[in-house]
Amino acid sequence: MSASGVVFRGVSVSYGRRDDIVHAVSDVDLAIADGEFVSIVGPSGCGKSTLLRTVADLLAPTAGTVTIAGKSPRTVRLERAVGFVFQDAALLEWRTIVDNVMLPLEIAGVPYAERRKRATDLIALVGIAGFERSYPRQLSGGMRQRASIARAMSTDPAVLLMDEPFGALDQITRDRLNLELLELSQRERMTVVFVTHSIAEAVLLSDRVVIMSPRPGRIRSILPIDLPRPRRLEVRSDARFAELARIGLAELEDGFR
Amino acid sequence: MAFADPARLFGRAWPALAAFVIVIGSWETIVRAYDVPSYLMPAPSAIWTAIWFDDGSIFAQAATTGFEAIAGFAIGSLFGAFLGVVCAYSVIMARALLPYVIAANTIPVVGIAPIVILWLGSGIASKIAVTALLSFFPLALNMMRGLQSYDRTIMDVFHVAAANGVQRFIKMRLPSALPYVFVGLKLNVTFAVIGAIVAEFVQADEGLGFVIMSAYKNLNMPRLWAAMTVSALIGIALFAIVAAVERLAIPWHNAMRDPSL
Repeated sequence: MSASGVVFRGVSVSYGRRDDIVHAVSDVDLAIADGEFVSIVGPSGCGKSTLLRTVADLLAPTAGTVTIAGKSPRTVRLERAVGFVFQDAALLEWRTIVDNVMLPLEIAGVPYAERRKRATDLIALVGIAGFERSYPRQLSGGMRQRASIARAMSTDPAVLLMDEPFGALDQITRDRLNLELLELSQRERMTVVFVTHSIAEAVLLSDRVVIMSPRPGRIRSILPIDLPRPRRLEVRSDARFAELARIGLAELEDGFR
Repeated sequence: MAFADPARLFGRAWPALAAFVIVIGSWETIVRAYDVPSYLMPAPSAIWTAIWFDDGSIFAQAATTGFEAIAGFAIGSLFGAFLGVVCAYSVIMARALLPYVIAANTIPVVGIAPIVILWLGSGIASKIAVTALLSFFPLALNMMRGLQSYDRTIMDVFHVAAANGVQRFIKMRLPSALPYVFVGLKLNVTFAVIGAIVAEFVQADEGLGFVIMSAYKNLNMPRLWAAMTVSALIGIALFAIVAAVERLAIPWHNAMRDPSL
């Protein structure tokens, strides 16, 4: 098997013990190539967030292995080579936006001038230039989430993990951020693993969509998205987009039977 | 900032000022009209005279009490903060120590003060010790609770960023705990003045507690009321200082933006 990318081999995660075991994820095999954008879609409780958390060493698999470029999640985390965007922006409210974005570099001991420059560049990249000195509470939910994306990218991670990052935002803000993430990922060629409830969002952004079914959480099918890149939001009115979304939705619903 | 604007400050403060004037005014009027004896209820003007004109000694006594309160507050808070950190980080230590700390905290200060005075003498050291004992527990408990109140997702952010324990403490857990820390400090500072005065009650030759005790023995009630008023003013002043530091230290906190504060 290839040593690059994110590879899941026989990954299972269970909680609880003895009589009360919950199989959150059961026997997942999946290889994500370098530079690939993969979405994981599924209903609540299908273990998609759990799977994502094993990559960031936030959770250890009960069985099987996860590797990133052939290395263990713990090694990769200590190298600061993963970025994680949570559903909640989780910014420190006592720090300005630029100080929040700098946080991982500050923890890594990067000199002030260097981390400041990197943070300022990233803030511009995610489209909130001019808000460096603002505090999180002065920003809208969408802007806070942009800041948290900039923070996750600050250490220039090999893999960006996103756990329903736009789930708490309104539809208009969500569309805007989808568009910008589309452009960003196409420009930076990052490896992105993106967890969402929305098939449309997954089809729009991804190279492949992994559809999961619940109880126990497992991969039901993998849908390659052959829409040409670069894509724009208008791709959503394509016949091919509609067809892929329909297939995805059908798979998702079959997973409940 | 809002409280720097005199017009807005007055707009917010006038009801309290009006209430003060009405209460003091009626008090003075009633005492004079019915010729109430001063040992039962001295008039505000008599208390005012006792504060400023008796022999001026109240302020020297207040300085002693204020010093005891501040020193005891500082020492007690320091130990309280330390115990809070220990208990927040070690469940074993919390389970071992907290029951006894809570039990010790229920012992009335009038019971502890004589023992401490016997150990440390009737000077200022024993007053500071009693004050420190009293202004220890609130911060210990609030520090522990505060350090445990961090946001779990932010903890995940620090985990992914491979932060070590010291970084987590300084950059996340301590700042998250500050609103709780100030709740504890405000309680401590109030208890500190009470602690100093109660300790002086028991055995002292200076301080406001001593003044209250000796005025009571001589039935010099205006002087007793004067000492009581000044001790309240010390408490209010120290509380206001802690509240001002809080405003500067945690301007991001919700409670700081509540317009009623």
